[in-house]
Amino acid sequence: MTDKTPVTVLTGYLGAGKTTLLNRILSEDHGKRYAVIVNEFGEVGIDNDLIVGADEEVFEMNNGCVCCTVRGDLIRVLSGLMKRKGGFDAIIVETTGLADPGPVAQTFFVDEDVRARTQLDSVTTVVDAKHLPLRLADSREAVEQIAFADQIILNKTDLVTPAELAAVEASIRRLNPLAPIHRAQRSNVPLDAILGRGGFDLARITELEPEFLNPAHGEAGHVHDEDCEHDHHDHHEHNHGHDHQDHAAAAGIRGISLTLDKPINANKVTTWLNEVLQAQGPDILRAKGILDVAGEDRRLVFQAVHMILEGDFQGEWREGSVRQSRLVFIGRNLDEAALREGFEACAA
Amino acid sequence: MAMISEFEAFVTAAAFDRAQRACFALGDGTVRFEGGESVQAHDGAILSACLHPSGDGMLTGGDDGRVVWSRPSGAEQIAEVKGRWIDVVAASAQSGLIAFAAGRDLHMRDVADAGFTRLFPHERSIADVAFDPKGRRVAAATYNCLRLWYARIAEQKPAVLNWAGSHIGAAWSPDGKFLISSMQENQLHGWRVSDEKNMRMGGYPAKVRSLAFCSKGQLMVTSGANGLVIWPFGGSTGPMGKEAAEIGFDESALVTRAAATPGATWAAAGLDDGRVWVCDLTGRRIDTVKAEKGAAISALAITADHRRLAWGDEAGGAGVVEVPEA
Repeated sequence: MTDKTPVTVLTGYLGAGKTTLLNRILSEDHGKRYAVIVNEFGEVGIDNDLIVGADEEVFEMNNGCVCCTVRGDLIRVLSGLMKRKGGFDAIIVETTGLADPGPVAQTFFVDEDVRARTQLDSVTTVVDAKHLPLRLADSREAVEQIAFADQIILNKTDLVTPAELAAVEASIRRLNPLAPIHRAQRSNVPLDAILGRGGFDLARITELEPEFLNPAHGEAGHVHDEDCEHDHHDHHEHNHGHDHQDHAAAAGIRGISLTLDKPINANKVTTWLNEVLQAQGPDILRAKGILDVAGEDRRLVFQAVHMILEGDFQGEWREGSVRQSRLVFIGRNLDEAALREGFEACAA
Repeated sequence: MAMISEFEAFVTAAAFDRAQRACFALGDGTVRFEGGESVQAHDGAILSACLHPSGDGMLTGGDDGRVVWSRPSGAEQIAEVKGRWIDVVAASAQSGLIAFAAGRDLHMRDVADAGFTRLFPHERSIADVAFDPKGRRVAAATYNCLRLWYARIAEQKPAVLNWAGSHIGAAWSPDGKFLISSMQENQLHGWRVSDEKNMRMGGYPAKVRSLAFCSKGQLMVTSGANGLVIWPFGGSTGPMGKEAAEIGFDESALVTRAAATPGATWAAAGLDDGRVWVCDLTGRRIDTVKAEKGAAISALAITADHRRLAWGDEAGGAGVVEVPEA
């Protein structure tokens, strides 16, 4: 009972292939015992006592933090599951296509009982290559689920042309430069590639290589931000490649990567990060960083979900590796120039 | 003299029944009695448990959707809500009523009338349920409020005691004057029922999972801190404007369960490191009755005569111990 049970949060809109994946997790002969928490609209076809229904009840915490929300139903269901004899190798939480991943993820950091017994392993988002452009156009939740993810299962790749696939991957990358994309057909990804990611484990943040397809300043995605905020629901007839980029931009969500070659002052960077997360926490979905602190041979590693920040010194910089501070913010309405300026001012 | 058992399943609850016999409700769906009897009450884990209104045997709610009454002679189903978890059960010896919650629905049953059912819907899931001392009203803890229902009335608009946040526990003071709720944010909230005056009872380092009244309602003891927290409830103002005391403070441990004698001044604490102690609050001398460390204590009960104590832990350890003479 001392080891924490890993929990994978599975998000994605209806029809993306979550149910197919869950059915595989429940029926494949993997010798593991998984519990699956499904949402009320779930349609897992298997009658199995390891499937539990949950109601997606989001609770605000009375702690003065506006974005500090948790899923009350998860706290209750996880505490019930922990009473079951024998325990579980892993728990999978399915959310509806309309769910905000923030409260789900924050539950694992905010609630002491959940935190004591379980460990959030990853937020895994299943998307459908064929319909993603449409979803990005009409669903803010679909955009946020991609931006929030630790990994993305890009499903139904057999239903699109190579050019469409490349365009879809490019739009995912723009929203989330960090999450690996697993291409799949009928959710046929190896389960051991999906479970056991350690997406929130500081010790596993060993490198940050964001795969940006940076739209240069002045390119359509940037310039049209403001216009697209207001009236973007009439664009459905545009070609896909153009359409989804506009709407990803309209949601104002993107990833920003910052690097600094000079060593950093630990106090300055901590203060700055706290300030940024305090001020923009509701808009910052995820942040990760590996920092080169002046006078310290170990790497300072952090990760954040909205305002919840976790950081620690991890292993030493490898011999011969480039000592460079690197961090990535994924969020809404981020001011890249201001973030860069703030970060650079943390130099020792 | 001590009885120790290894049940190998999470101990959800412990209680002494009318015959002063210890009973334990477990994560493997069984109810175990001090005499060694084991009753398979549920197919799955027992999520909630309390004494049956008769005082004979235990009433349990399971993740199999059933409410079951277990005695050493066997199990009897009281109710079933298919496909739901029974997260909470409560019972009143005074009125003979049983309340249980499945998701957002509060259900009522009557031990004297098999045909009696009531269903009180809520907007959010119910985390806890408590009968008032006479067993006529029932309080349901839910998100942002406690709702008070007259247990026997079919059609009614409940009284609502509002306070923002998630309420995870509910308890009435033995005189019925105060309602106390435990909150997600490591604090208690109280109301004087007569005028709904609010009481904030904060300062806890952890969630308050367990509380009990003793000294004929003069004192309330709670878990959720490094020691046992004691709130004064004397007079018409209860704990309003008064300070809590803490006994048995130990920096290395948290109290996870509290138990107390309703009529006397004895209280007991179960700790997250597996230790259990008991104390006469008038003398405040602490007697550690289980010194061996282990899994966190998840269930604790004390007899009304404060001579015996039953404990259970998260890993399935359980025991009954005699309290040493003062």
